[in-house]
Amino acid sequence: MSAFDAGAAPAAERLRFDRTVLDNGLTVVGEFNPYAATVAAGYFVRTGARDETPEVAGVSHFLEHMMFKGTDRRSAADINRSFDELGAQYNAFTSEERTVYYGALLPERLPTLLDLLSDMMRPALRDEDFEVEKNVILEEIAMYEDRPHFRVFELAGERFWNGHPLGNSVLGGQASIRSLRREQMLAYFGRRYAPSNLTLAIAGAYDWDAVTEQVRALTSGWEPYDVTREFPTPEPARGQAATEDPKLERVHAALFAPGLAAADERRYAAAILANVLGDDSGSRLFWSLVDRGLADSASLGHEASDGAGAYVGYVSAAPERATEVIDTFRRVVVEAQDDALDPAEWRRAQRKLATGLTLRAETPLGRLVSLGVGYQTLGRYQSVQEVVEAVMSSSVEQGRALLAERPFDRLYVHTLGPGSERS
Amino acid sequence: MRPGRARAGAILGAMASNPTSERIYQHRLDNGLWLLFEPMPWLPTLSTTLMLPFGASTDPDALEGSATVLHDWLQRGAGALDSRAHSDALEGLGVRRGGGAGREMASLAASFLAAELPDVLPLIASMAAEPRLEEAEFAPARELAQQELQSLADNPTQRLFNELMGRFLEGGPGRSPFGSEAGLAALTTASVRQDAARRLGPDGAILALAGGADWETVKAGAEQAFGDWTGETVSLPDPVRSAPGRSHVQADSAQTQIGLAFPAPAPSDPDVYAYDLALHVLSGSMGARLFTEVREKRGLVYSVGASYRALHGFGYTLGYAGTTPERADETLRVVLAELAKLSQGVEADELERARTGTLSSVVMQGESSAARASRLASDALLQGRARTLEEIRNEVEKVDLKRINDYLAEHPFPDPTVVTLGPKALAEEEAAA
Repeated sequence: MSAFDAGAAPAAERLRFDRTVLDNGLTVVGEFNPYAATVAAGYFVRTGARDETPEVAGVSHFLEHMMFKGTDRRSAADINRSFDELGAQYNAFTSEERTVYYGALLPERLPTLLDLLSDMMRPALRDEDFEVEKNVILEEIAMYEDRPHFRVFELAGERFWNGHPLGNSVLGGQASIRSLRREQMLAYFGRRYAPSNLTLAIAGAYDWDAVTEQVRALTSGWEPYDVTREFPTPEPARGQAATEDPKLERVHAALFAPGLAAADERRYAAAILANVLGDDSGSRLFWSLVDRGLADSASLGHEASDGAGAYVGYVSAAPERATEVIDTFRRVVVEAQDDALDPAEWRRAQRKLATGLTLRAETPLGRLVSLGVGYQTLGRYQSVQEVVEAVMSSSVEQGRALLAERPFDRLYVHTLGPGSERS
Repeated sequence: MRPGRARAGAILGAMASNPTSERIYQHRLDNGLWLLFEPMPWLPTLSTTLMLPFGASTDPDALEGSATVLHDWLQRGAGALDSRAHSDALEGLGVRRGGGAGREMASLAASFLAAELPDVLPLIASMAAEPRLEEAEFAPARELAQQELQSLADNPTQRLFNELMGRFLEGGPGRSPFGSEAGLAALTTASVRQDAARRLGPDGAILALAGGADWETVKAGAEQAFGDWTGETVSLPDPVRSAPGRSHVQADSAQTQIGLAFPAPAPSDPDVYAYDLALHVLSGSMGARLFTEVREKRGLVYSVGASYRALHGFGYTLGYAGTTPERADETLRVVLAELAKLSQGVEADELERARTGTLSSVVMQGESSAARASRLASDALLQGRARTLEEIRNEVEKVDLKRINDYLAEHPFPDPTVVTLGPKALAEEEAAA
């Protein structure tokens, strides 16, 4: 019996969910926590690499950088200085699915943070900033070129998704970034940053009436318009391919298999299943590869995206052993489809996931991303307790049902290495 | 009942009434293990950090990497449980694990629901007090360390810092926790068992906990789980700096990695608060000098920064920038100029922004059990005592402009150790060569 089974999840009775949809279509959601010492707030924009056309590949991420470069009221230096004066921990990130701008600070400074973040959502996108920042983006692309662990996912994702926009590169390429013009970015911004495509999420200590009144005033000039997203049917690739890079010492492999969409109720079971098979410690892949010293890293997770999903794995091995290691990885996940999952391993995975969720919820900043992404994806609020309960109540039969669909018979494997192992 | 936490109304009213824990409990067990605990009664979770007094700096000569292999071996079966059973027992309790072998210490970290404490502590203690160190588990533990060493080659940034530390510090403290090829190859079950007998003891070890438990439960649990632990320990060598200089490591990478290291106040030096604020002005945020000059104005890099690090009795600063080779000379020049300029002092508004940021991050640290447990343990190791967040806040508040600028004027930027790693040496190294 674990404390999770006894219902000792974080005490949800203290938390309160708030929500307002403004006239311009902007949704504002909050999770009030009376015990929080800080507050975190962020704009979640439902736009990312999947919403780009090939000629502007990387524009979502480049735009994310440009949003810090100034508005009609503020220069880039003003924005950075304001964040510093607030003592905010702040940043932004871009994925295939969304772009997020956030900050965390002491509660009495929330109004200033909301003013700053909201102003940033209507950027100046000045020409001179565009050219300087282009160099920064090119440096970021060069930095990731030196990280094969990252690069192999870009290579594998593009081929696995096989033309589906979830395979688009977040960074874009040297060529697409070099040729990108400011007008193209302006046009993209104009299509994607409608109030209805943004969610402002706030977690921690705040005064909801004051927040809504302020945000309504700050965004009153935002014009509503419609934004759409394409959902083509995925036709994921299977098989194996290799990219050679003689500079590398190791073989890095990314492994993809078809998974579940973010709104699929079975996503909790899929996450537990991936944990059973490929958690960093104590999983089947761990015992077969890492514990035996065959690979220094072997993992599998489940990524549930908007409308589609995938199991995503990684393994790194010495070139002379790469074939053996990748075959073992494949055998572990394929054979799991034929042997009954052990209820004890299922239970361990459930509890590890529940602990992870509970730990992340300790801080408002940790909570913010789950709150924003969760609301934007599902259109409704999920407390940590609700998610922990969903994980703890997912049965091993649900895991077996997922395996009965034999997702790992449709594995796509991409290797990136010095080249002697496979071609 | 959840004591010790102000209501939201009060929080919204005043920053000073920050509702974090203001008490740290401590106790030294008879065997020398130092126990520290900070209650965070509003949390359902508990985090622990066990610092074991062995690391790369005390690896036996010619056996570099022994600490890393020992750290892995400890986790492969302990007490009545073999490797698999021990791991399953921890994970059955929902424990999330972390840790690793470092330069001076090795750590075992864990986070879990506070209610599981009585079952979790004995499982952690057994790894330190009664590891099985079975013959069959040795080869895979060493094999894993060898793979991780090989993986360094595909991680230029990590490789740069290893090279930099080896050139910055003399002897043991400059040694890489990844070990060396020859060192790992020379390890045997006998040598690592002997190493464990030499330095896997409780006197010098630290057990820090933070989260939703009470002191009596923690203390009784720790006494029971760790009380019988015995063993020898070795003293840590004092870090000594090598002569400064510049060097280049040839690597076929897209970016040139630039690393700098130079001495800074020791962690227990009262000047450390003033220094930390000065470093915040230099590199604490996206509005700080380095980011502004190197990235925002010139677009030379994606990543640039400097941060304070410490070993026991020794503080230092590490600087980093990554840029494409043709811009490496200019990047290093701008970084060095900003470092040198710091001795001219900081402005009042810069100090206030740095202070605000520092105080804010102190409050945020107080919300996370894992962050607090890890900080309690490192404070105990580096400062020789734990500090409450209240104490840190007060010290940060006390630093005024005169004090920080006096400090900077009296301590001009020291000649740094510089290592670059990339496809071509910088102009200055070429000229020197």
